[in-house]
Amino acid sequence: MYRNDTICALVTPPGVGGLAVVRLSGPESFRIADQCFRGKQPLSEAGSHTIHYGRFVWGEELIDTVTAAIFRAPHSYTGEDTVEFGCHGGIVVSETIVEALIAAGARLAEPGEFTRRAFLNGKLDLVQVEAIADLIYAVSAPGARLAARQLVGGLTQRLRQLRQQLIETAALLELELDFAEEELEFVSRTELLSRLEQAQLWCQQLADSYRAAEVLRSGFFVGCVGYPNAGKSSLFNALLQRRRAIVSPIPGTTRDYLEESFFLNGIPIRLVDTAGLRQTEDVVELEGIALAEDVVRQCNVVLLVNDVTCGVEHSIELFRQLRERFPEALYAYVQNKIDLLSDGLPRWSPETLGVPIFWVSAVRGDGIEELRAWLGEQARRNAELGVDVLINARQARVLRSVAQALGAAAEALRAGLSAEFVAADLRHGVQLLAELTGETWREEVLNTIFARFCIGK
Amino acid sequence: MGRILRRGEGSYDVVVVGGGHAGIEAAAAAARMGCRTALLTMDVRAIGRLSCNPAIGGTAKGHLVKEIDALGGVMGVLADRSGLQFKLLNRSKGPAVWSLRSQNDKRLYPLYAQELLLQLPNLDIIPATVTGILVRHDRVCGVKTEDGSVLKARAVVLCSGTFLNAVMWTGLRAVKGGRAGEPPAEGIAELLTSYGLQRGRLKTGTPPRLAAESIDFHRLEPSYGDDPPQPFSFRTKQVRNRIVCYVTHTTPETHEILRRGFDRSPMFTGHIKGRGPRYCPSIEDKIVRFADKSSHRIVLEPESLGSNSIYVNGFSTSLPEEIQEEGIRSIPGLERAVFLRPGYAVEYDYFFPWQLTHWLETKALGGLFFAGQINGTSGYEEAAAQGLIAGINAALQVQGRGTFVLHRSEAYIGVLIDDLITKMGDEPYRMFTALAEYRLLLRQDNADRRLMRYGYELGLIDAQAYEQLLEREELLQRLVATLQSERAAPEAVNAYLAELGESPLEEPVPLAQLTRRPNVSLAALLALYGERYAWALRYPQVIQEAEIELRYHGYIQRQLREAELLRQSEQIRIPEDFDYTRVRGLSAEALEKLQRIRPPSLGHAARIAGVSPADIAVLALYLQ
Repeated sequence: MYRNDTICALVTPPGVGGLAVVRLSGPESFRIADQCFRGKQPLSEAGSHTIHYGRFVWGEELIDTVTAAIFRAPHSYTGEDTVEFGCHGGIVVSETIVEALIAAGARLAEPGEFTRRAFLNGKLDLVQVEAIADLIYAVSAPGARLAARQLVGGLTQRLRQLRQQLIETAALLELELDFAEEELEFVSRTELLSRLEQAQLWCQQLADSYRAAEVLRSGFFVGCVGYPNAGKSSLFNALLQRRRAIVSPIPGTTRDYLEESFFLNGIPIRLVDTAGLRQTEDVVELEGIALAEDVVRQCNVVLLVNDVTCGVEHSIELFRQLRERFPEALYAYVQNKIDLLSDGLPRWSPETLGVPIFWVSAVRGDGIEELRAWLGEQARRNAELGVDVLINARQARVLRSVAQALGAAAEALRAGLSAEFVAADLRHGVQLLAELTGETWREEVLNTIFARFCIGK
Repeated sequence: MGRILRRGEGSYDVVVVGGGHAGIEAAAAAARMGCRTALLTMDVRAIGRLSCNPAIGGTAKGHLVKEIDALGGVMGVLADRSGLQFKLLNRSKGPAVWSLRSQNDKRLYPLYAQELLLQLPNLDIIPATVTGILVRHDRVCGVKTEDGSVLKARAVVLCSGTFLNAVMWTGLRAVKGGRAGEPPAEGIAELLTSYGLQRGRLKTGTPPRLAAESIDFHRLEPSYGDDPPQPFSFRTKQVRNRIVCYVTHTTPETHEILRRGFDRSPMFTGHIKGRGPRYCPSIEDKIVRFADKSSHRIVLEPESLGSNSIYVNGFSTSLPEEIQEEGIRSIPGLERAVFLRPGYAVEYDYFFPWQLTHWLETKALGGLFFAGQINGTSGYEEAAAQGLIAGINAALQVQGRGTFVLHRSEAYIGVLIDDLITKMGDEPYRMFTALAEYRLLLRQDNADRRLMRYGYELGLIDAQAYEQLLEREELLQRLVATLQSERAAPEAVNAYLAELGESPLEEPVPLAQLTRRPNVSLAALLALYGERYAWALRYPQVIQEAEIELRYHGYIQRQLREAELLRQSEQIRIPEDFDYTRVRGLSAEALEKLQRIRPPSLGHAARIAGVSPADIAVLALYLQ
């Protein structure tokens, strides 16, 4: 059942990304890693929980500059010796790294095998292990400044509090049901409802913080969108402030865009350049939007690039359609090519637009700093967690379903249903929460009743 | 016909030891299933005694009685016959938590129980104190009694209640005995321990009994039964309320008096080591734990039409007698109260129930079954439920017919036994509706629909009763189908809806949909159609069940789905000889408990306190 070899795999989502992490886990991890890593010292001599900057090579060929995070057994995600390479994103680099590791003696991990090993090695305080894992991802991005202490245990503690609250609410409901003969003052419906609503809101907010956590983990997506020749590519390069390096663009029929990343305020910004959207007879070609849809959908910010020489309102229709379709993103209307204007900046500040307008020249560099500063500010704000914990996709999903169950409980209460129905929804919520907290609940509800209320004949 | 023998010997299929509520059900079930059965009891007149509160049922316990009745047990019938007052608790709540409770005549209940047993075929009742269990090749083969006789048995059901090494305490005065005036059972516990069965110690208590004529009832608040009262048993046509109970409260003065006796409390001075039930605390416990409450509720319950004894519900105590008396007399209405008997605490041995299978046979000794307080439960109903299951399984085993186990999703009895086995509780176990995760499925109204088929198959329910159930079931299906297909026209029902203050219909909707409105009564709705639904209206029970099934359809469906998931997880069996030490990554606590309890399936393992979802995930990987 338990194979004791060394395995490796890409552990960040595959595809285009600013950063990627390849994990190597098993008894041979350090030996294999040393064959591929050139840094100040061999990784096999490095202490646990240290991060090393260096070059990842395959034979003599440089694959990427990477960070190597060292975890010595049993203090790793899997409980085994583990090295995690943080490399630049994109399929090519990460796949090459995985191939190199396999060539050096590792085996490609089966889906879920890291987690299975974590199970088998008794590393399964789900919440904490996940938080640690998340931390690793975040730290492997140079400049990310998340304190480890802030994360580890923070979520566990909060979920425990939530659970405690729900159990107490359940106890109040059960009290009515199982101790009907007692002379007890039962809690009012209003009070119960407010407890449920608060808990629901809390879950929802925590679930929503996933978006912020994602920014810290995966980066802040900024897309350049506009008609052909609006100067998107030059804006792309101007924002980047460097030549495109290392990662080659991935041409493809469905993903016809380029991606690069840089850091602002310590947050990885993932800049995406889309192919131009064509316009026919003043009607935006919807097909074009569909093409950019993939990009825009995951964008935190959409920079709508307008060639100001075609007129300040030239791209307004495109802007409106995009915003209608993807209302969640932030937008900025970027008036490019102001260097070509002979009469100075036109006066144009429409009140109805409702988004910031930037006047830039990508070629000459005018206004680029302002735009970068604005992006940095947006990234910072988006990365601000309402809570001081990081959650991952699974935790967000569970929390959303908990919120839903609590919503149903509140609904049952509002509809005037008897406590056992409300309790059924509430119990469902606590059971879902058990996926994160790993605790059962039955004894506790009664324990709470016995501790808090004078019961009994 | 059953008979009372002077002394026992010879050979039986099933020997039941103990004539309490577990023993009665076990003996009745085994005998009615065709086994030659002996019921051994220290005192034949003590069979069916209501040792504590003369009441049957209550929240969740009422469900147990309904289930026992549906399976063909006797408790429901006995409670109905001896009932003095009937109340359906939680009537203002939903149908899943309606629970029947009765006050019973303490004198009549045992008499009816004895009468019922004497009418059974295959049953011998033998007054004897069992002093030994005979074992051969890890299997029980009989019992030995005090006078030296030996009864051979193919299965033995031990229902010894609070009698194993029992000690009663009033103040610091300790007397050996399991119940006032009755001796303990000694030796058996040690013998069983020598076969590897592990035991612990528990405590329970009972309040004082007062003389009715010494109580000033006029000043107290009366508490009446339901009008009309409902019976427990489907066999009972009608029951009557015959008594009124009275409510009073302790005062700050009472608490002060009782506190003065704390230095002579066997509980607080550490003389009693066994743990008592938190849901049924002694009055001294309540005063200590809820120091901010200046008053506790007391219900005065007549124990019998034929006696003046009043049970002081809420005043269970083991304080010294003179403190009890002084305390009682500080309670309004009880100023001149005369004691018939002081309250006392009883401490007794029980065997950890994780040593049992789901059919209540000990894992250590084949053919030996435990039921009732010996398993660490409290309550007549919990005892009776186990007695029934143990008796049924003892009989099935003797007859080579397999085992009978109820699932958590089909009966409170299933929840009770599964909890006993998978939980390692250290206080007496009491049934609560909160313990049933499928509470909305396990209602008292559908107990017979859930369980009567089993009773019939086991031979405990007669064909006539079962056929009536099938007819009702068919009628219910037909009614639900009709309600789903037939539509209510606005003109037919809008007047009725207006009367209720409900929004009127704009267009016809299925009757089922209207039934889901909380204020709509299905009976009233169908009555609007004159004779058309008379076929259904003749059966109020069917109408009620259809209403419940339709109204809570969403919830019921969800619980059915959840129950199905649980059953699936129980399909993953764990081999009996599974070596848990091989499983890497189990927590130390989980390892210890899994090795001890040896759950039959992954689903059961998941319910063990201290076994986390992580442990289950690890285990699952090894079982695949």
